[in-house]
Amino acid sequence: MRVTIEVNGERRTADDVWPGESLLYVLRERLGLPGAKNACEQGECGSCTVYLDDTPVCACLVAAGQAEGRSVRTVEGLAGGDGLDPVQEAFVATGAVQCGFCTPGLIVAAHELVHRDPGATDAEIREALAGNLCRCTGYEKILDAVRLAAAKKAGERA
Amino acid sequence: MREIEQSWVGGSRPRFDTAGRVRGMIAHVGDQAVGAAAHVAVHRATQPHARIEAVHVDEALAMPGVYGVVTGADLYKQLGDRLLTGPAFADQPALAHEKVRYVGEPVAAVLAADLATARAATDAIWVDYEDLPPVYDLADALAGTAYVHDELRPSSVFGDLKHLRGVRDTNVNYTYNLRTGDAEAARDAGAHTVTGEFWAPPTHHVPIELPCTIAWVDSGRLEMLTTTQTPSYVRQTIADLLDLPLSRVRVTTRPLGGSFGAKMYDRLEPLAAALAWTAGRRVRVTATREEAFLLTTRHGAAVSSSLTADAEGNLVSSVADVRYDTGAYADVGPRITAKSGMVAPGPYRIANARVLSRCVYTNKPSAGPFRGFGVPQVTWSHESLIDELAHELGEDPYAFRRRHLLREGDEAPMGTRMHSADFVGCLDAVANAIGWFDPLDRGTGRIRRGRGVAVGVKAVLTPTIANAVLQLNQDNSATLLISTVDMGQGSDTIMAQIAADVLRMDSRRIHVVRADTDATPYDTITAGSRSTYHTGNAVRRVAEAMRDKLIGLAAERFGVPAEEVSLTPDGPRAGSHEVTVAELVHGHFGARGATLTTEANYTSSWTPYDKETGRSDKVTEHWFAGAVGARIAVDTATGRVRIEHLAVAGDVGRAINPTLVEQQLSGAAIMGIGHALFDQLVLDQGQLINGTLLDYQLPSIRDLPDQLTPIVVESPHDDGPFGAKGVGETGILGVAPAIANAVRDAVGVRLTRLPLTPESITMALEENQ
Repeated sequence: MRVTIEVNGERRTADDVWPGESLLYVLRERLGLPGAKNACEQGECGSCTVYLDDTPVCACLVAAGQAEGRSVRTVEGLAGGDGLDPVQEAFVATGAVQCGFCTPGLIVAAHELVHRDPGATDAEIREALAGNLCRCTGYEKILDAVRLAAAKKAGERA
Repeated sequence: MREIEQSWVGGSRPRFDTAGRVRGMIAHVGDQAVGAAAHVAVHRATQPHARIEAVHVDEALAMPGVYGVVTGADLYKQLGDRLLTGPAFADQPALAHEKVRYVGEPVAAVLAADLATARAATDAIWVDYEDLPPVYDLADALAGTAYVHDELRPSSVFGDLKHLRGVRDTNVNYTYNLRTGDAEAARDAGAHTVTGEFWAPPTHHVPIELPCTIAWVDSGRLEMLTTTQTPSYVRQTIADLLDLPLSRVRVTTRPLGGSFGAKMYDRLEPLAAALAWTAGRRVRVTATREEAFLLTTRHGAAVSSSLTADAEGNLVSSVADVRYDTGAYADVGPRITAKSGMVAPGPYRIANARVLSRCVYTNKPSAGPFRGFGVPQVTWSHESLIDELAHELGEDPYAFRRRHLLREGDEAPMGTRMHSADFVGCLDAVANAIGWFDPLDRGTGRIRRGRGVAVGVKAVLTPTIANAVLQLNQDNSATLLISTVDMGQGSDTIMAQIAADVLRMDSRRIHVVRADTDATPYDTITAGSRSTYHTGNAVRRVAEAMRDKLIGLAAERFGVPAEEVSLTPDGPRAGSHEVTVAELVHGHFGARGATLTTEANYTSSWTPYDKETGRSDKVTEHWFAGAVGARIAVDTATGRVRIEHLAVAGDVGRAINPTLVEQQLSGAAIMGIGHALFDQLVLDQGQLINGTLLDYQLPSIRDLPDQLTPIVVESPHDDGPFGAKGVGETGILGVAPAIANAVRDAVGVRLTRLPLTPESITMALEENQ
């Protein structure tokens, strides 16, 4: 089947999509966007987190057909051009990135939290990111990154 | 600090290409567009131990889009015994041949036009088995109720295993003995002895990136792009497998998405190479998460041990019987058995020590290297015992350890002296951090608080070989060729910092080439915390050779003796003479874009341990010293442990990049929390029953302690590059016992089996009442 999705602001079409195919497979294998990672195909690790319309989802659990006619935003589409989104900047500044494999999913999840609730407490940050596994960092610097990005966002709103 | 100095040794410059990582622009192996390739899926064994009578593939072959189905028998016909590979024993076939030895072992591979077709076709394969008696656990394996392998087959990698060739009727593939003094007699004569039966279960590394190998044939050569920590090893394995000269095998990598020991030695590579070679096609082999759980595991280990003090409280005897469950294939288990067995007494002054350490086959997924290389399992034993002995003697567990810890120059029980291993400094640092010397609010009602400490010791992998090639470009940028694999630890960054510090240039102008055996020189492996020291030394030397070359050229140009020339960030200087590197190199070659090249080697040496006593005056190039302190609260109603503060200290000699060192310590700490509290592979009659991320518990951000303190201790190593040593494993060694010791302090129960689940804690509390 043919699927048409608005991806990072552009209308994209994928052909020969088989019925069981995931949005993640379409993004990575058909649309050339490998930022969202495939690491469990079960929605447990969060590495494939993308926005579907305005909601963060595990792209591996979304059937490609469910995304038909909707808008998807991936880590590649968070910042314009060569620049970085403030959440990405915060991950760089705090040393929250090691191997970088979980990073794209974490950044989308953190991006959503920071925009939804820049005043989030530590407990709320932990809750929001509990579905994104990281094996390198020990999470501490990720917490620092989200605090930093949230503070900046809160400052903008004040 | 000037920005350029921040990019040298001791500076916390950001790691290479962080911006690319946050934008999702780093291409990992699985992100590479591979063009027309056959996608491979694997049909796996359903029996733990069985003879293969027939593999039925016709139905799968008939499916549209299936290019072919390959069995172990097919590969054996072409490759013979070369099909069997492995780092210590050549015992593992890429596809099961004649027998299967664990549930989930690869039996047949489907090559198809797409992955969905390949996976569907594996369900259309069925196998006739004749069941053999399985060996499910260490007790049955040691009793010899059945044998996993008919005979032992040492590989050609390690010469010291030769004497095991052809040994039959055993599941023990390696035994290490340590005999220092007379430990049994000293135990019997001692005043206080504590004993324990300790168990650390099998666990999994779960790097977030899944293993993936793409292999193809080009101009009669086998080439591959693969997720491996050991490209030089894989090249040799594939050359042996296909009977090719090394020059006709090419192994390339990309940055790995984590590994921790999961992606080394023989994983997907022998299968991918055999399929690509025999089918003459480009193949892409990816592991699903469920398959990744089966590729390798951390050894489950049982330790029966005792520790004895005399009437004055001096440690006089340590005895340990260590059994590593290595599963169906030895992998590097024999090495783990020796290298970890020899530190089973712990980092203490003990005159008499006896260790029996055995590596044991069972019909389960193979166990191999995992961050710590078997040492966390024995640390679990010795740090629980010494804690309990302190309690029995009425001494403070911190002070008791401190009194007995090995100091600089002390000889460890296995005969090798300590240098640059500041156990006392690490222990003091974590004790201070968690407030050991302050009064503790022990809690009221169902919440009870306690504190615990633990110390760990590990040898660096020795002997190993590192090589480096450096090309200094005419524009004063450089290209560094090494085969160290960056898997998140940051080697690309710190190797550039080492070279740049020597050459007084900006490390961000040095590009580290990804391992490619056609271009980057031989390097033993990226593992065992060896790269900072070994490859770092090769990089230091290659940069020093380049510095000497530049100084020579400058001296010639200035007309002064070389001793008068020094390098500065602005170029070589001698008195009033000055020149930029760009001018100097351009002047030398008369061409833009030319390069100067140097090469260097660093090889460490050891004295093999004595076969009878297990002792050696130099069993390792150096030691890692680490300590962990934990302050925890136990909910006595639910058995849940809340970690209020975890401090992790490691002696790294000298931190090349302090931020990256802290990341390693913190990352090891959280991985260790999983091992302490919930991480474990559960097998039932050889069947892995929690091998998915739905069922296998890993630490999430919610498991992060209220406070986590990484502490960098620097006791410079005389021969380390700028005094540095590695740090990848140091942090994890003592995490589980520190937490268990804190539980002991909080609620008075001693748990000897990991993980410390709420159930095990509430049951122990109940028994204690």
